[in-house]
Amino acid sequence: MQTHFITDTDLVTFFTSLEKRGPMYMAVRDEEGTVRVKPSSEVGSYSYPGVRAFQPLKPFFFSALEEVAEYPSADKPLKEARPFTIVGAASCDLRAIEALDRVFLEGDFKDPFYEEKRSKALIIGFDCTDPLETCFCVLMGVEPYVEKGFDLGLAKVEGGYVVEVGSDKGKQVVDDNKGLFKPATENHLSQRKALRDKTRDIVEKQSREYKPATTWQDLMSKVYEDSTWARNVETCVECGACLFICPTCQCFLLYDQRAGDRFKRLKMWDSCVYKNFTRVAGGANPRERLIDRFRHRYYHKLDYFPKTYGFEGCTGCGRCIVACPGEIDMRKVLKEADKS
Amino acid sequence: MKNVYRPIDAEILEVIDETPTIKTFVVEPKEDIGFATGQFMEVTVPGLGEAPFTPSSSPNVKEKIDFTIMSVGKVTEELHRMTKGQMVGVRGPMGKGYPLDAWKGKEILIVGGGVGAAPLRSLFLALVERLDDFKKILYCYGARTPGDIVYKEQILDKWQKINPKKIEIRTTVDEGDSTWKGNVGVVTTVVKDLGIDINNSVGVVCGPPIMMKFGTFALVEQGYPDSAIHLSMEKNMSCGIGKCGHCMLGEYMVCQDGPVMTYDKVKDKPAIWD
Repeated sequence: MQTHFITDTDLVTFFTSLEKRGPMYMAVRDEEGTVRVKPSSEVGSYSYPGVRAFQPLKPFFFSALEEVAEYPSADKPLKEARPFTIVGAASCDLRAIEALDRVFLEGDFKDPFYEEKRSKALIIGFDCTDPLETCFCVLMGVEPYVEKGFDLGLAKVEGGYVVEVGSDKGKQVVDDNKGLFKPATENHLSQRKALRDKTRDIVEKQSREYKPATTWQDLMSKVYEDSTWARNVETCVECGACLFICPTCQCFLLYDQRAGDRFKRLKMWDSCVYKNFTRVAGGANPRERLIDRFRHRYYHKLDYFPKTYGFEGCTGCGRCIVACPGEIDMRKVLKEADKS
Repeated sequence: MKNVYRPIDAEILEVIDETPTIKTFVVEPKEDIGFATGQFMEVTVPGLGEAPFTPSSSPNVKEKIDFTIMSVGKVTEELHRMTKGQMVGVRGPMGKGYPLDAWKGKEILIVGGGVGAAPLRSLFLALVERLDDFKKILYCYGARTPGDIVYKEQILDKWQKINPKKIEIRTTVDEGDSTWKGNVGVVTTVVKDLGIDINNSVGVVCGPPIMMKFGTFALVEQGYPDSAIHLSMEKNMSCGIGKCGHCMLGEYMVCQDGPVMTYDKVKDKPAIWD
């Protein structure tokens, strides 16, 4: 794919032009230094985020709550989504979207609501330059710089940005704004490479002690009965924060309500750590004990998901570590199990 | 684009009392909705929600579908209050049913209990409608008491008479009463002296959790290989399309990888009998 260069000022012009597509959301640092995704109208001047946003990007495609059907009958066409642009998907965010794509768009049935919103998104990724202490993407086969899954990928270099085209959609918006882009030079690309190597080195170093002896799947195949689960579940308060903030957690609940003289069906995020998540009407509950629900999350991400899709269902973004009021750190939970 | 979450309207044509807690609802979907035996559907009580059920009628009957349902929870209790002429919704069919084509030329052993009779009735009818394809059907069914036997006429005589040479029905109850002349004991007490060539046979087990467990063990004891034992897994299927995560059993989404699964695939998964 093509690689271009754009200056700081031209990038702003480019974003302004992209706003014509529809709403734009940007990952930028707030006054406290936390990267958050905001509507572009609330962003004063664009600055490179450097690291993934506090919140995951999944709500753009998989809403926390949305109406998915109305009945009886009235087979009305599904609501069309507006084209929109996300500026600021880190590499871990892109992997998470890949994971959700596999879940919601593969198999005998596609989720039409996910598909519609996904098809309307233009996603601009970026290389990380300031990883957080909780970042461990490299342990999950994810690099801290964009490799795939983006329409355009940005990397900060002197005086501007290297822009990598990752899709036809990305190529189109570059072509539409041809005058703003110049060819990227060898110097730009070597600056990008140096920054990539530097960031990778930081994440690699801070993750080294948590690296599994072999593979995650191999580890999981040996530690189902390990004491790490009982020890670490002690501070779990079943709040579900780790799941709701997880960029790949896919679970949801369907529930119905009356709407005037008709009825509607809603789809809402759900959490496998909640007690009745697996309960059947007859009363049986395969994961009645908290330890079983706690452990299930780890097995889903690192054993079941890879068995189905060929890669880990965890991106190493570390959001669950930051969100947990019980100070449960996924890396440490797994490290304790991997004492072999 | 098809909306996989929208229920199809269906009218209740008839409600049949089977036992004090089990009724069969004959419904007429307003759009075509075929199914293979063993597949399930989500039935909607308008405004209240959905619950998963495997039809109990033959898959070859297209215009109406039977659901045999026990009153055990929010949705089913409300269903039990519904009557002829009222509307429900149906969504499906979902998942993988019984692989009848792969069973050609074989002897089929069916072990069922309680309301597990529902999918098994659909299976039995589907097998009977192409009986030339199979060597024998032995159906072992257990209920708690004679009053809890779900399909009384069929089980007691009618089914056997369809072809006494090829079909054998064994019915048992945990506790008999003054009218009961048959076997007393849990269903596994009749899963022996099968008169079946195990090497050319498949087993099917469907019922409440405890019965699934011991029914499966009985088949293993009889010499059935794990891969020949077909279980109807009951999990909390919500979306039915392999996305929502509620029915996960190990790496499987039971709603899509099942609900009919062979024992070899699931025997090592956590909490399969719960």
